[in-house]
Amino acid sequence: MVKSDFQGWLNNMGYMDKSLTYIHEAILKGEVTPLDLVKEAIELAKKDTNNAFEYICEKEALDSVSKLDSSKKNNLLYGIPVVIKDNFSTKDIPTTGSSNILNGYVPVFSSEVVTRLENEGAIVIAKSTMDELAMGGSGTTGHLGVTYNPWDKEKIYQVGGSSCGSAAAVSAGIVPFALGSDTGDSVRKPASFAALVGFKPTWGRISRFGLFPFATSLDHVAYFTRNVYDSAYMLNILAGRDDKDASSSFNKVEDYTANLSNPIKGKKIAVIKAIIDSISDKEVLSAFNKSLDYLKEQGAEIDVVNVDVKLLKAIYPTYIIISCAEATSNNANLDGIKFGNRIEGESFEEVMLNTRTNGFSPLIKRRFVIGSFSLLKENQDELFVRAQKCRRLIVNAFNKVFEKYDAIYCPAAPSIAPLIKGSSNNLSDEYLIADNYMAFANMGGYPSITLPIGFEKNMPFGANLTAKPFQETVLLNIAKVIENGTGLKDLVAKRD
Amino acid sequence: MKEVNKEVLATAAHKLMFDMSDEQYDNLLAEFDVIISQMNLIGDIEGVDEAEPMTFPFDVTNTYLREDVATSPLSKEEALKNAKDVVDGQIRLPRVVK
Repeated sequence: MVKSDFQGWLNNMGYMDKSLTYIHEAILKGEVTPLDLVKEAIELAKKDTNNAFEYICEKEALDSVSKLDSSKKNNLLYGIPVVIKDNFSTKDIPTTGSSNILNGYVPVFSSEVVTRLENEGAIVIAKSTMDELAMGGSGTTGHLGVTYNPWDKEKIYQVGGSSCGSAAAVSAGIVPFALGSDTGDSVRKPASFAALVGFKPTWGRISRFGLFPFATSLDHVAYFTRNVYDSAYMLNILAGRDDKDASSSFNKVEDYTANLSNPIKGKKIAVIKAIIDSISDKEVLSAFNKSLDYLKEQGAEIDVVNVDVKLLKAIYPTYIIISCAEATSNNANLDGIKFGNRIEGESFEEVMLNTRTNGFSPLIKRRFVIGSFSLLKENQDELFVRAQKCRRLIVNAFNKVFEKYDAIYCPAAPSIAPLIKGSSNNLSDEYLIADNYMAFANMGGYPSITLPIGFEKNMPFGANLTAKPFQETVLLNIAKVIENGTGLKDLVAKRD
Repeated sequence: MKEVNKEVLATAAHKLMFDMSDEQYDNLLAEFDVIISQMNLIGDIEGVDEAEPMTFPFDVTNTYLREDVATSPLSKEEALKNAKDVVDGQIRLPRVVK
């Protein structure tokens, strides 16, 4: 056996590159123990070359495994290692939001989603890197530096952000599931660049208690898996009312795996013309059209639909103004006094000023100033309030599409992952529409999922499907059919 | 809208209790050229100023009262655990009256 074959054989020995259901079956059959799984995941995490982790919880994870209640062995997540984005509070585990201002911060409580995962037997093995305080989309702005795309051994392409470390951990086969958050497209965009399923359910469907707020009216808990079934199953676990989050929905939780195999005959799917028109990459368009053909073969009715181009171009600036403005207020508590990396001064004002000046990176400060500028009394009507008004028109336009259609389906991005050192024309149609339209799902709170549809230059790209609020069952059903058509599931980037 | 210049941006930064270097203000001024152009795209939309501002994705009425059952908030020790300078159960700050 030559060395590369041996390495390949070794790589296939593990379980972390398999689906949740496969690993669960292996535990039930006694082929592997939770301790084996946690050791495997931690060893892989330690060998990570993509800068995916803020903190590897080896001691904590081994302790959790030793306390597992074997009577819960039938729970799908029993003994399964998971990774958590570093903006979710994790009791007794350092949590920084990839910002120096929170260096040394150790939460005294866990976020609701982490508690739900642990109650199902999941073992948190690491906190993942992110764009600082989730305010970025490239995976390059966290305080530990650039997070790399596991599909790219040259380390020149982005993995996307802000949930970069979670995306890298799942696509590198270190864990089968990782939590992220999605305020503009922070899970659904990296999913496209890393051949993953990235899912953001309806606003209010999953509790945000314990998630560091960025822009409250747009923030969603979201996550990565490697296939649609696992995404549906994870929603069964994470969805549901939580009194600790006032925006959490009372709507009934369904069994989201129950209808995945339903026929989609007669389902109406809209493709937005201006989004397709703003994409020039032929490989992306060709793979997307193939997936449309498959949907038609399965009986779906596909129409190309017009949405006002001016509104589509306005999605990104509307998102930037609203999110930056909300972020200034949500991050006002980061002053180093009650928690965080306090820098001393002669007065309490100076303590705050020094802490914030030293703790935030230049990029975050620029975002905050944009928010503050848009909230100045003289500017509020023309910037912040106008952006909120524009949000209404954007959501109205998409609601109108949803009056006739079950889902909206388009490429998730105009191309494969951009270069880390690349630049873009921020006023082009491709940038304003194809690259940033997915924030409409945050503005309207729609459930939205990205899944892989093809490869170009050995790098993946995906498509995005979005449905009406609380129509996760329909969304996941159609997504499963797309996955069946492409055959692209359970993809893992080859390890080094 | 207020003219965008270094002074105005510095005022906005100081309101948020941080400062930036001259180079960072220059970068931000350049960024504002793009932001203002992008914001003009919103201003061009017909009917935008007549629309009702949207503050949340959809209307939800969550009316409920929790049961009158005592719950435990964070203990004082937990609440102070992450503060850097604690004396006698209180966070110490620089003296106000000098």
